[in-house]
Amino acid sequence: MSKARKPDCVVIGAGPAGLGAALTAREAGLKDVMLIERDLELGGILPQCIHDGFGSIVFDEVLTGPQYAQRYIDRVEKAGIDIQLNTMVLEMAPDHCMTVVNSREGVVEIEPRSIILAMGCRERTRHQIMIPGYRPAGVICAGAAQRDINIDGVMPGRRVVILGSGDIGLIMARRFTLEGAEVEGVYELMDHPGGLTRNVVQCLHDYDIPLHLSHTVTFIHGRKRVEAVTVARVDENLKPIKETERLVPCDSLVLSVGLIPENELSKKAGVELDPATSGPVVDECMHTSVDGIFACGNVVSVFDLVDWVTRTAEAAGRSAAEYVLEGRKREAYIRVNPGRNVKFVVPQLVGRLDRGVDFYFRVEHPERAVRAMVLAGGEQAYSRKARMVRPPEMVHAGVEAAKGLGKARDITIEVVSDEKEA
Amino acid sequence: MRIKRPPLPLKTGLVIVGGGVIGCSIAREATRYSPDVVILEKESDVADGTSKANNAEVHSGIGEDTGTLKQKLNVRGNQLYNEFVRGLGIELKRQGMLIVVTQRTIPVDEDGHLSEAERMEILEKKIPEGIVAYGEKAGIQGLRVLAREEVFRMEPNVTREAVAGVFDPTYGLISPYKLTIALAEHAVINGARVFLDTEVTGFRVEDGRVKAVLTDRGEIEASIVVNAAGVFADDVANMAGAGGFVIHPRKGATLLFDRQVTAEYVRSSVAEFRLPGQRTTQSKGGGAMPTAEGNLQLGPTAIETDDKYDTSISAEEIEEIFERFHYLLPDFPRDALISAFSGIRAPTLEEDFVIGASDVVQGFVNVAGIQSPGLASAPAIAEMVIGILHGLGLPESPRPEFDPVRPAPVKFSELPDEERNRLIKEDARWGHIICRCETVTEMEAVNAIHSIIPATNMDAVKRRTRTGMGRCQGGFCGNRVAAILAEALGIPITAVTKDGEGSPVFLGMAKDYLGSDTG
Repeated sequence: MSKARKPDCVVIGAGPAGLGAALTAREAGLKDVMLIERDLELGGILPQCIHDGFGSIVFDEVLTGPQYAQRYIDRVEKAGIDIQLNTMVLEMAPDHCMTVVNSREGVVEIEPRSIILAMGCRERTRHQIMIPGYRPAGVICAGAAQRDINIDGVMPGRRVVILGSGDIGLIMARRFTLEGAEVEGVYELMDHPGGLTRNVVQCLHDYDIPLHLSHTVTFIHGRKRVEAVTVARVDENLKPIKETERLVPCDSLVLSVGLIPENELSKKAGVELDPATSGPVVDECMHTSVDGIFACGNVVSVFDLVDWVTRTAEAAGRSAAEYVLEGRKREAYIRVNPGRNVKFVVPQLVGRLDRGVDFYFRVEHPERAVRAMVLAGGEQAYSRKARMVRPPEMVHAGVEAAKGLGKARDITIEVVSDEKEA
Repeated sequence: MRIKRPPLPLKTGLVIVGGGVIGCSIAREATRYSPDVVILEKESDVADGTSKANNAEVHSGIGEDTGTLKQKLNVRGNQLYNEFVRGLGIELKRQGMLIVVTQRTIPVDEDGHLSEAERMEILEKKIPEGIVAYGEKAGIQGLRVLAREEVFRMEPNVTREAVAGVFDPTYGLISPYKLTIALAEHAVINGARVFLDTEVTGFRVEDGRVKAVLTDRGEIEASIVVNAAGVFADDVANMAGAGGFVIHPRKGATLLFDRQVTAEYVRSSVAEFRLPGQRTTQSKGGGAMPTAEGNLQLGPTAIETDDKYDTSISAEEIEEIFERFHYLLPDFPRDALISAFSGIRAPTLEEDFVIGASDVVQGFVNVAGIQSPGLASAPAIAEMVIGILHGLGLPESPRPEFDPVRPAPVKFSELPDEERNRLIKEDARWGHIICRCETVTEMEAVNAIHSIIPATNMDAVKRRTRTGMGRCQGGFCGNRVAAILAEALGIPITAVTKDGEGSPVFLGMAKDYLGSDTG
């Protein structure tokens, strides 16, 4: 990095999103791509995800997290990308001016022609879900616990209660068990698991770890270190039922209670956020509301599969290249509306109609025998049967250009019952 | 594994029991006259009891009852504050307090005894003018009545139910733990010694005079003892036979919000005026206030407890706070909640400060019953106690060698870029950000560990540098801070604690448990 550099593109974050975006931007013709990562190594969260299940869509193979990351790291390192590890972005303005810092060069100003946001997400903590009790050592988020064991080789707990059945929580239930720790149980507020079905089977059922649906933790005991938690069943309004409270002795409480896209920098740059996703509003090119600032992966919306993260990263990288090389401007936008049983949709806006659009959405509640529909101006542009849709699973709808979003004034994504045909 | 602490001295002049804001204030003031001062603290850091959970408020004294010691010392303490913190490298922000009179202060009288015009006259004029008059009588300066529109101009997020207000400009905020640490360090610079993880177990009293302090680490001879043990002050006084008061612990819980979201949410502190019968608890009612660093705080509650260690927060308390402030600040940013904490107040049954030399045990001074406005009163309490100590033998003339300056720790996030670059060239650890939420560098954590009152655990580093105080609450920086602690202290990672003995962050190394159950 030299003073007042003006690279074609700066990618912030070198997890799967940043790796994919930097590589695609470079391969699409940008000469000067800078990849900024605050950690000491590339890969983001993937190096600690030593379980398998990655890559089934992108590579048609089942890989571990480190393997999936390495495929991109190898290519990124050979692609002539300026990789800046251990580097933090301190400031970012709507005009793309950035202030970054690292130990090698100190505080440096950069004025990139385009920016790709790929900062990923962070874990929700105990206070965001307001668990009463003490504040002892031993209350940790599942991703942090995963890093403890898989990267740093330390055990954050030996007798563990897990709250939340998100994928990381399920995977950590198995991981703790394999390390010889005891997992007393997994407690889930909702009446359905928060993670993928395959993880419920492979991580809990296969190890006889009980899953307590419609339960929550109502108190954390222990002044210095966790000594126990109180758990209780919840009623239909998700309020704990006092009479069902039960004391569970344990030395740690592991939380898998949701992820939040990490958009503090996006806010500094004036990027418009969607309250439904907590991420930037993007179009099908992953262009945010600020010209020349693109976003991809979990900073946009928390995805269930890394493969989708890579797909959005490729779109962002390609679009940043077109923006810089061809000076490509925005088209007039069509708004994408979430319809029946759809919580949110990415992208929220569609402008460019000459090629396909990948829609990603989540449903509000589980539903069997359905059709995922994309309606353009009321006309069906896409329809796909699904045996089951569940909130934890992102639904992908790839609409080809030919199917004609063309003359639509608005696009609606909805899930409709398909009982008759089922 | 206990962090190694230096051995206790055999003898000193003055022993202060308790390293909270009161004990450290007295210690610092005492070193103006004698370097022969020892602070004993049973926890692993100073400010590790009630002081760390204080809401940072330096009240003017407006909320205190006429004629109490509390009111007198609060008003005096507030006036002394700027001088008190001079040279400490810590700032008191006097951004003022807004006391809001609302419609519910006097609800509409359904029976018609009170006409609407009369009601509004009371709310808009009589109450605010009464508050100002009350404060002026107590010696508080600058109070002024605000009309409804002025209230909104000052604090746009306040409820439209507001009728009028009083602005109290001398009210300020200061970080209670940073102040305590600064005072302790300043005392040490001037000769005092601080012993952490050291619990007082008794006193040797001979012929009605205190002779020595007994601790779990040995005995120290001393002829003057100050009991500043907070919630444990009655227990400590009783050990010496110098008791006569009872501390009944009262818990106060506070909710804390992300400062990135709430920095501008309230500019001053905002409290709702409630008539005596309307308060549900013994608290002055609490308020919505920024911390010294800009996080919005809502609270505190006031719950009697029989456990002096009960720093828990119940679901009911969280609910109560939300309910209370939903009225005052209808759209406060609930989603930006990042933490909640609870502290234990130390009131006596009389609800006033108990400050004075024991008339039973010569040389023993109680400084007890210190609850809010204790932080605001600290300079005046110290002043009063020093007066007592002079009478017990503390030299009366100030020491010319007293160093008025305690260097403040360098904060990377507050430096201009040229200064940042100079430091990074000097030591690369200045360029390594370990806490992304609060922009804290590795060097700041290392400096905290090697500071005058060394940080020896995660919470102690956090209080000094803000690592883990942001929205991710240590999810990102936790392991980095733990590794830095282990390296700097020369201990295994499994010996790193959150908050001293009994609070290990990790319970073992990976693979440790494999096969251990089956052999």
